[in-house]
Amino acid sequence: MKWFWVVMCVLSGTFGDLWSAQGMQEHGEIQNFRLHGLARILRFIATHKVVLTGIGANAVSFISLLALLSVAPLSFAVPATALSYILKTLLARPMLGEHVTPRRWMGVVLVSIGIVLISF
Amino acid sequence: MNRSVPQPASSFKLKNRLFIALIVLSNCFGNLCLAIAMRHMPSISAVPLLSYLAALLTNPWLFAGTALLAVWMVSTLSMYTWADLTYILPVTASGYIITALLSRFVLNEQISPLRWAGSVVIALGVVLVSETPERTKPLGVEE
Repeated sequence: MKWFWVVMCVLSGTFGDLWSAQGMQEHGEIQNFRLHGLARILRFIATHKVVLTGIGANAVSFISLLALLSVAPLSFAVPATALSYILKTLLARPMLGEHVTPRRWMGVVLVSIGIVLISF
Repeated sequence: MNRSVPQPASSFKLKNRLFIALIVLSNCFGNLCLAIAMRHMPSISAVPLLSYLAALLTNPWLFAGTALLAVWMVSTLSMYTWADLTYILPVTASGYIITALLSRFVLNEQISPLRWAGSVVIALGVVLVSETPERTKPLGVEE
């Protein structure tokens, strides 16, 4: 059962972030941080289908993490989130068109190794 | 929508740094507030469900934590409009280090040497990625 929740948590978290980023990138760079600008960005978030789907997927991921924690220790659950860093980076090129340089890959791998280490 | 070629200006750098700090701090302190909130709660199996819910809804730490996590969500979504996901994710992982420090010095939890080692490895990854450009493709500009 715990592997089911790992897969759920990693997949929904990965697509949650990818869809959120994909939707938000359609907005264009935010430059106005006055009250008017903040209201606009909140309205954009609340009405954009892709962003809302991303937020929903992240909610599923959070609930799956809680379910995972009820059947497995934290030291098992945390490395699972490290796995999603790798998956998000792999999919960022085909889904978001980001150019992931070797230097950035090295950073992502180091962060993932570090997350596995801190869970012991 | 206009398309512009990435041109980091000093105000852009400042905005970028401010948002990294906002994302990392709101997440860490939001989680810290939630952890403190749960310490002030009775065990869920020890009291009737209704009084557990009443304790939950009158817990100020819970509200502070939820508000901070809402700030975290909106600031992360905002930053997606000008920076790569593969830049934001590793750079904001510096939060793991601050969480370790907060657990040790605010919550007085024991941190194993391996966990400190993990924090150092994360810090190395953060430094590597933070020296790459924030965005690797042309982005739209707010009209």
